Amino acid sequence: MKILRIGSNRCKTQNKAYGPSMIPTFNLTGDMFLAERLSIKFGKVGPGDIVLLRSPESPRKVMVKRLLGLESHSVTYVVDPMNSDRCDTIVVPKGHVWVEGDNIYNSRDSRQFGPVPYSLLEGKVFCKIWPPKEFGSLMKSGMKDPDL
Amino acid sequence: MRLLSYMGQWKSAAKEVLDRTAIVAKFLCLLHVTNNYLCSPTLVYGPSMLPTLNLTGDVVLAEHVSHKIGKVGTGDVVLVRSPVDPRRILTKRVVGMEGDTVSFYVDPMYSQTTVVPKGHVWIQGDNTYASSDSRHFGPVPYGLIQGKVFFRDYVFVVSEFFIRM
Repeated sequence: MKILRIGSNRCKTQNKAYGPSMIPTFNLTGDMFLAERLSIKFGKVGPGDIVLLRSPESPRKVMVKRLLGLESHSVTYVVDPMNSDRCDTIVVPKGHVWVEGDNIYNSRDSRQFGPVPYSLLEGKVFCKIWPPKEFGSLMKSGMKDPDL
Repeated sequence: MRLLSYMGQWKSAAKEVLDRTAIVAKFLCLLHVTNNYLCSPTLVYGPSMLPTLNLTGDVVLAEHVSHKIGKVGTGDVVLVRSPVDPRRILTKRVVGMEGDTVSFYVDPMYSQTTVVPKGHVWIQGDNTYASSDSRHFGPVPYGLIQGKVFFRDYVFVVSEFFIRM
């Protein structure tokens, strides 16, 4: 029993995501997905991956966002898409990552609380399991157009 | 006939091996769970917590339950994952929780005051002259806290078997 518990904690976890910040990738009302933890420990995450991370503002909350930049990457983002088209560029500091929700109009992410330390990442999402008609692996296809 | 008796011996020997291995595996699992989720001995070294902790290394007992239930407060010595280098774990003291006002000396003549933002803590080493802490990299998110140090172990020899960073 303990071996099973350790296996599942080390390897992957099953989670439910809800909220509007990752539309259209994840639904508002909740999708279930599988996330694995080994990639984070070995540093095998890159821009375009969907990651689970502990919120820097509320330590009990785990959020699902898309990783857009690793340390020393230069990230361009739209500061306030509801009101203006102004873009800003930032270089991600050492030891940190930049995360954004796919639905930038309604997402609280690095544009509000800044780059987050890499250690707050908890898992990488690799497969969606519910609803069944959207079952399948989550590739990097949902990435924003870099020309924007 | 001989073959059958050999097979019988192998079978019992194999069963014994499996039983012993199962016991060792269960013990290792228990050790793993205890180390990660309950309490673990940790070797800490460096000058930033003098005189509380030694320069050359101290084995301390850190428990991993308090930070999950929110019982970490000002004055606690905690193990924190460095925001600058994700592979390093630092040992510092929590000087301010979220919402607290913290004053610190940037250089001996000039002091600065900040309010710790929501979800963050301000950590400082006891030896402020030789410590890289929140005065340099800012308040750290509470989620980076790995455990709270509650006991310094003087029995180094016994703990040597369980040392983990």
